[in-house]
Formats: sequence, structure tokens, C-alpha cells
Amino acid sequence: MRVIKHYRVHLGTLAWILHRLSGLALIFYLLLHIWVIHHLIGGEESFDGIMERFNNPLFKFLEVGLIGVIMFHLFNGLRVTLIDMGVLVERQKLLFGIAVALWLVCWFVISVAMISRFGGVPFS
Amino acid sequence: MATHAFKINRYNPDDERRGHYMQEYPLDVQKGWTILDCLNEIKWKQDGSLTFRRSCRSGICGSCAMTVNGVNMLACETQALTLKSSTIVVEPLRGYPVIKDLVVDLEPLVESLYAVKPYLITKTPLPTDQERFQSPEERAKIDGLYECILCGACTSSCPSFWADKKYIGPHGFLKAYRFVADSRDEGTREHLEALDDKHGLWRCHTIFNCVEACPKDLNPTKAISELKKELVREKIG
Ligand code: FES
Repeated sequence: MRVIKHYRVHLGTLAWILHRLSGLALIFYLLLHIWVIHHLIGGEESFDGIMERFNNPLFKFLEVGLIGVIMFHLFNGLRVTLIDMGVLVERQKLLFGIAVALWLVCWFVISVAMISRFGGVPFS
Repeated sequence: MATHAFKINRYNPDDERRGHYMQEYPLDVQKGWTILDCLNEIKWKQDGSLTFRRSCRSGICGSCAMTVNGVNMLACETQALTLKSSTIVVEPLRGYPVIKDLVVDLEPLVESLYAVKPYLITKTPLPTDQERFQSPEERAKIDGLYECILCGACTSSCPSFWADKKYIGPHGFLKAYRFVADSRDEGTREHLEALDDKHGLWRCHTIFNCVEACPKDLNPTKAISELKKELVREKIG
């Protein structure tokens, strides 16, 4: 017997899908991160070598994107936590609006700070 | 030219080869007609083989829940003109096996309902010649919970249910909380028993489809939050 499985997308669904996708992206980043860090075992030279490989404009822009993904997951995660605690459940759409606003503002501020340092040494 | 085109998802178990298909019916919709009126009109005047479930035609029994233009609703409570669309797509509820045309098998809905023991559980004996009294304030606590007519619109819209057929579902949680919140009920543990499980509360991903779908404007997600708090309170005191 056939079972239909899709439903009109609304704000709650969108929040859930984006949360899942950003979560998956972060898992991928974490694996990459661990792989990079593991070069420490090979000593200073090996670690500097791998860091050098990431020291190019593509990865710097990807880092700006990464911050965006983290920030979204963070703020929507706080929204979900509030909902789980029974806070403003009836106003979940408003909560999502606030989460998105905070996400965009923080992402913008941090991006500006990061891009302005592009010429120099990252995170110094 | 008819005012509306009804596209209805059809399926006849005696004609497996044909499977599921969409059939279109033109219909002149009058002001005030509900979707159920329209379906009746089609069944009575155009195609007697069209099959759907309805009983009360007044939003009480929950038989006529179906998916209209992609959204779950009660056919008897929705006026066709309010959809503001000249094409109206009618499909059976999602997530449940289709028996025929718009009729789905709601057995899983009933089974998960039984799991939460959807009845008043009491331990202290009834005071002689008396009912179990409730103050107006205590009674107000089950507003927004007791109104559920178990039509299945919420659970059928829930992706967690699509992924796990044993998932209790928003209707079960709402019903469980209706009794947990009832001042006369003394069986909180019994109601919660089935909820602290991989097919229970923790599978809710706060997608809110159930809230969008409920034709009675109830909020199962709110009930889920309250039940989660209840479980956590039980565990860590
Ligand atoms: S027929 Fe009873 S709820 Fe619609």
C-alpha cells in the first residue's frame, strides 16, 4: 500500500530542515578539523605544512561561511531549547524570527572583523 | 464552464494494476459549500464509486480529515471558496496506508493512543454519593487539550511519524497530557510509561507540522514540552 509523505513547508519545517543541514555541515567540518589537528603528531613541520595549504582566499571565505553555519545552528538551537522548556511554544514563529535576526547580525559583525584581517595572519 | 476543478487521488484495491491515480471532476461550487458538500455532490451526481469517510458533517467525529491542496483539514469544516483556488486537490491523509480512494487505515493511530492509557486513572476511592470534583481553575487547565477529536490530521503531517510507524505521535501526546494535567487523575506514571521511549517523546523534532495541521487549533507541541518537563522532573526530582 502506498503512503504519501510530504507536507506543505512552513516556518517550523524550514527551521527544522535548516537545522539538520547545518548540523550535517558541522559534522563534515569537524571531521576536517580533526584531520587537520591530527597533523600535530607529525611535529611542527607537518602541522605548518597543512596549515599553509589552507592559507588561501578560498578557505578564508569558507571560514566566513562556517561561522554563518555555526551561528545559525547556535541560535536556532537556543530556540529549540526554549521550546523544549515550554517557553513561548505558541510563538515559535516569532522565536524563529528573533533567532534569524540574531544570527544575521552576529554573522555580519564577525564576518566584517574576519574579512578586515584577510591580509594579515588569521586569528592573531 | 464549471467554477472549480476537483483533482482527487483515487485508488481501488480491486484494481491493483491501475494503482494510485488522479481523477479530475468539474464542479460548480456554490457559496457556503464545504469540501465535504463538494465531494458528496461529485459522488451523488458524477461518480458513485468515489469513496471517502464522513459521519457527523459538523466537525465532531473526526472521520473526514484529509489533505486538501497540500494541507490537512476536516472536509466538513472547510468551505471550498475560502481556499481561494479554482483547482482543489484532494488526497488521503499522509503517512497512513490507503484502503480505498480517500479512506486510510487509522489502526496505528488507535494503537498508539492505547499506549498512553487515554482514560482517567484514580487510586483513592470515590467519596460516597459524590463525583470527583474539580474547581473551575483546575478545569481550565485542560482547555486546549480536551477538545481533540482524534481525526489524525496532526500525526499524519508529522515527519517523525513518517520515519517511525511506531511513533506515538502528537495526538497521543496531547491525549496523554490531557490526563496528566487533569486534577482528578492520579495515574501520571501510567500515562508517561510509554512516552519515555525511542518511539516516544524524544523523537519529536519540534517541526510544528502538527500545530499547523490541527483543525481545532490545538497545540500538541506545547503538550509535548510539558510532558518532557514532567519526565525530567520525575528523573532528577
Ligand atoms: S464528518 Fe465528522 S468531523 Fe467531518
